[in-house]
Amino acid sequence: MTQFNDTPVKLMLYPAIIFLVLGMTFGTFIAFNTFVFSDYYAGEYIHFGVVRPMHVGTVAFLWLLSADIGLFYFFVPRLCGVSLWSPTLAYWSAGIWWFALIIGNWSFPWGTNFGWEYAELPMWVGMLPIKTIFAVAWIMVVINIFATIATRKFQKMYVSLWYVMGTMIWTTFTYLVGSYGVNMVSEGISRVNVSFFYVHNLVGLIYTPMGLAAAYYYLPKLANTPIYSHRLSMIGFWSVAFIYSWIGTHHIIHGPVSQWLQTVSIIFSIWLFIPVWTVVGNIFETLRPKWREYTQSPPIRFLMMGNIFYLITCVQGPLMALRNVNEITSKTDWVIGHSHVSLYATFTFFAIAGIYYTIPVIVGKPLWSERLARWHFTLNMLGAFPFIAALWLGGFLQGMLWATWADGTSFAEYHSQLSRLPFLETISEMYWWWVARAVGGFIILCANILFAINMFNTIILAPKSEAIHERPQQA
Amino acid sequence: MSGPNKHSFFYNIELSALVTVIGIVFLFSFSVGVVLVAPNYVDPSWTQPTTPYMTQVYEVADPNLYISSARLSRKDLEFVYHLKRNFTLLAFRESDSVRISATPELRKYVTEPGAEKLKLTSRLLLLREQSNEAIEAARKQYQSEWEEKHPDWKEKQLVRPDFKIFELFEPNEDEAFALASTEGVLEDWVDQNFEILDEKPMQDYHQDPGVIYVSNPVEYRVQISRFADRLTWEYNPNGKTITSLEQLKGPPFNFTSRQELISMGEHLYAIQGCWYCHTDQTRTLIQDVVLNGSDSFPAPPSSANEYIYQKVTFPGTRRIGPDISRVGIKKPSRDWHMAHFWSPKTASKGSIMPSFQHFFEIDPRGVAKSEMGVPNRQFEALFQYLMTKGTRITPPTQAWWLGKDPIQTIEIIEGRKKL
Repeated sequence: MTQFNDTPVKLMLYPAIIFLVLGMTFGTFIAFNTFVFSDYYAGEYIHFGVVRPMHVGTVAFLWLLSADIGLFYFFVPRLCGVSLWSPTLAYWSAGIWWFALIIGNWSFPWGTNFGWEYAELPMWVGMLPIKTIFAVAWIMVVINIFATIATRKFQKMYVSLWYVMGTMIWTTFTYLVGSYGVNMVSEGISRVNVSFFYVHNLVGLIYTPMGLAAAYYYLPKLANTPIYSHRLSMIGFWSVAFIYSWIGTHHIIHGPVSQWLQTVSIIFSIWLFIPVWTVVGNIFETLRPKWREYTQSPPIRFLMMGNIFYLITCVQGPLMALRNVNEITSKTDWVIGHSHVSLYATFTFFAIAGIYYTIPVIVGKPLWSERLARWHFTLNMLGAFPFIAALWLGGFLQGMLWATWADGTSFAEYHSQLSRLPFLETISEMYWWWVARAVGGFIILCANILFAINMFNTIILAPKSEAIHERPQQA
Repeated sequence: MSGPNKHSFFYNIELSALVTVIGIVFLFSFSVGVVLVAPNYVDPSWTQPTTPYMTQVYEVADPNLYISSARLSRKDLEFVYHLKRNFTLLAFRESDSVRISATPELRKYVTEPGAEKLKLTSRLLLLREQSNEAIEAARKQYQSEWEEKHPDWKEKQLVRPDFKIFELFEPNEDEAFALASTEGVLEDWVDQNFEILDEKPMQDYHQDPGVIYVSNPVEYRVQISRFADRLTWEYNPNGKTITSLEQLKGPPFNFTSRQELISMGEHLYAIQGCWYCHTDQTRTLIQDVVLNGSDSFPAPPSSANEYIYQKVTFPGTRRIGPDISRVGIKKPSRDWHMAHFWSPKTASKGSIMPSFQHFFEIDPRGVAKSEMGVPNRQFEALFQYLMTKGTRITPPTQAWWLGKDPIQTIEIIEGRKKL
């Protein structure tokens, strides 16, 4: 039996769990400090504009991207039947990775924001070329993963490995385009176009394949059942490869970009139904013979709920790209809700499920508390519903209020609608929705503090005496 | 022949994996070509400015208009034009109360009231205010002429103008500094009934269908004084002239070009995260053109080329603060913006915007006589950046806020014009 070196997994996963809690703390802070007790803590270094990118950077990069890389370090060697190609390279890359991301993402209050959405990581912090340092760390990860796959023992490649390889190539491209390419094309709307290409591919070609690679590996492991259809997963893979890079422009529908480009992005957005249904169908069919597992295992619950949220977010996404739907939902809280459903309720749930399986295996001890894990899931759901519902309904309402300015047939009529309902009143209308969002966010934060406690107790403490059924550990 | 080395890297990447990699790279490059590269070549509006006015205001006016708020009271801004020989177009216009005295050789550059065409030149000439006997005599003469023209001015209770008389002269240097009469947002622009009195076109932009010019540039002279431990200055027609750009940009004047301020403002807009709450695009939706319009006219939707002079563009994904793409017309008041950045919740009821009091300095001596602090350069930069929004898409003579919208937004939204 191959001996796996799991130190690289630990180097990525343990800090990531802490950053999950910290990132959600930042999020909860701004949810209260901006929207409920507006500007209670005020000042140059703490206002919404500088804390929001810290929240996004911390949950998206310090938590989700890092956690997914940690899971890759775990299951790629196991699917290949060899140890990670170079653990030394992984130690170095992890060190550089955390150094660049922590300094980069937490320097925003001191005015380092790069100015492009999701690419806020600064080019420079003082003398440190943070973006480039992170790019180097990423390339090291890519080399390590590819070399592991190239030196594998098992000839046949499982679907997760395809997604992993895709992630490695796409992320490299997307990251370079979004961070460096964006400042190389001509100024103005060309840069906006490149930026939105990056924004959508970050979700579509980085988090999606990463999350699906993890889901396709961990669900059969957790439920001890084979995947329903390898072919269906391949259709999903190639349609993701084909479709995602076309649709960035759907972020500026009705905006100052060419109509034909908007139409192209809308058409491809609708095609996204294909990969989504293959994934959702495949995951449900995989668990179907073992539905009872859903009631027994919190990680399976996370995975299946993540799958349901994936279905929801991916039905929303294409529909939001339609011009008439977009007119109402775009630029409202609906969009914030949508992005949380994909990055939090889908891919964070997938990663959490993976971590629940991974950590007991790599420390060789059972989970410290199954009960805490059940609470973790329950509280996450209790928080997610008010959180997401508030953003969706509030955002939809806001879009409908704005649409009243378009009631009538003449400018005088439109304008009188606007004077009856000034812009700031549409903001005041949001107040109670924002309260619900903040409360939901707080519950989610509490849930994930329980998760962190459970995980670190599993790692540090001796196992509790209560009997826990063993899980299979071999690929 | 020995078979392939079964331990080589490439042997282990089996064919299907290789096809995967090639396939991904191919699909990706294809879409990048269509979505990211092609539009630049297919759509001229992505790279070409909206109008010559836009080009000139960014490339001719912005780098040469200097702004400072460093005077003692710092309540108002001081605008100074950096004039260059054979570059800056100048106009010298007389009006009912402004008269220009010039030598016969220079007289041809003066546009008299009622003249058919505006006379422009890129010869470096300046006006100066001086009081000497000749000027006083001329003033008396103008006043008596006026009295002859309005014999019944006392009965009609007309006010006799106190003629402002400038002397037109040619400085020796190739550059000069002049007090600008602009309020810093719109530039003087002429696109019909004008002539440029140069022997040959000196700059490419002089041949555009319209040109930005500087009207009645008055030589910038200052008097420096000491206030407590600080040097301060004020414009004084009898003071010393500013001779170089270094002097203007150095202490105590601390002038900054509008170009630098706009660029700093754009940077601040990025690092302060303004763009997380404010969008910068008037979408092709009725609600947007009405929201961003004036009381009488809708704002034209944003076009791709509005942003071509920005290093970073912020179209935005969420709108929990008003859109800023037409703010230069909607909220042009510097006083309003000062009060608003200081305390947004006081200035606009219902706002959730944080206060930006770090855009202000403490005013320990209270000389600004203001409830709030003294705005610092961060405020001026952000304000100048905001004032570019919506004010530069059309020349002031074809302005949408005057109902001269070139794309006829109002006809479109009222259904009178089909697209």
